[in-house]
Amino acid sequence: MPKSDSAPCTVSPVNTTHVKPALIGGAAGIMAGLFGVGGGIIVVPGLVLWLAVNQRQASGTSIATIVASSSAALVAFGISGRVDWGAALLVFTGAAVGAVIGARAATLLPERTLSAAFAAVLLIAGIRMML
Amino acid sequence: MILEVAGLIVLGLIAGSIAAALGIGGGVIYVPALVVLFSFDQHIAQGTSLAIILPAAVVATVAHTRLGNVRWRLAMPIAVAGIAGAALGAWIALSLDAEVLRRLFGVFLLLVAARMGWRTYRLSDQSVPEPDPS
Repeated sequence: MPKSDSAPCTVSPVNTTHVKPALIGGAAGIMAGLFGVGGGIIVVPGLVLWLAVNQRQASGTSIATIVASSSAALVAFGISGRVDWGAALLVFTGAAVGAVIGARAATLLPERTLSAAFAAVLLIAGIRMML
Repeated sequence: MILEVAGLIVLGLIAGSIAAALGIGGGVIYVPALVVLFSFDQHIAQGTSLAIILPAAVVATVAHTRLGNVRWRLAMPIAVAGIAGAALGAWIALSLDAEVLRRLFGVFLLLVAARMGWRTYRLSDQSVPEPDPS
C-alpha cells in the first residue's frame, strides 16, 4: 500500500488514536443516514489513507461498522414508513449469495479492475439521478 | 410482477458481490437502481436500501471475519460515532423533499464516481505489490 512519507504511523489501535476513527465514523454515519448508503465509501479510504490500514482489512473493518450505522438509519426510515420490506427481502436474497462471492473475489480479482468498472457505473447513475 | 421479482433478486446478486468485494454497503448501487430501474420514490429507495444493506453487511462481516479482515478495536469507535451520525443524517434526509434528495444523491454519486476513478488511477499508476497483512 502507498504510504505518505511523513509520519510512519503505527497501526496499533491505542486509546489516543480513537479521535480519527470517531471522525471517520461520524462522517460515514451522516452519509448513511442522508443517502441510505452504508458509508463504506468514506470508511475504507479513511482507514487506508488516514490510518494506514491495508486495503483488505479496511474493507473488512468497514463492513463491520456498516452494521451499526445502517441499523441506526434503518430505524429512522422504518419509523417514518419509508421502507419497502418486500422488495428489500428480494434484493437481499440475491445479495446474501453475492456477498459471499464478493468477499472471495476481493482476494482474487485485481482491485484496479473492480474500482474502474465501479467508477464507470456510478458516473452513469449519478448523471441519471440529477436529470 | 414476476419480472420485477426476478429483477430485484438479480439486482441483489450483482450489487451484493460488488459491495462485498469493495468493502462498501452497496447503497450506491441499490438506491439509483431502485429509483431508475424500478421507479421507487427517493425516500423509499433509501429506506429499502438500508434494509438490504443491514443483513447483507452482517453476512459480509461474517465472511470477512473468517478471512481475518476485520480489526474490531478499530471498528468500535467508528461504529459508535457512525450511529450518532446516521441518526442526524436520517433526520435531515426525512425532512427534505424527495426530488431535492434525488438530485442531491446524484451529486453524491458523481463525487463517489470521481473518487473511485482517482483510486483506479492511483492503482494503475503505482502498481505496488499487495502487502502481507500478517
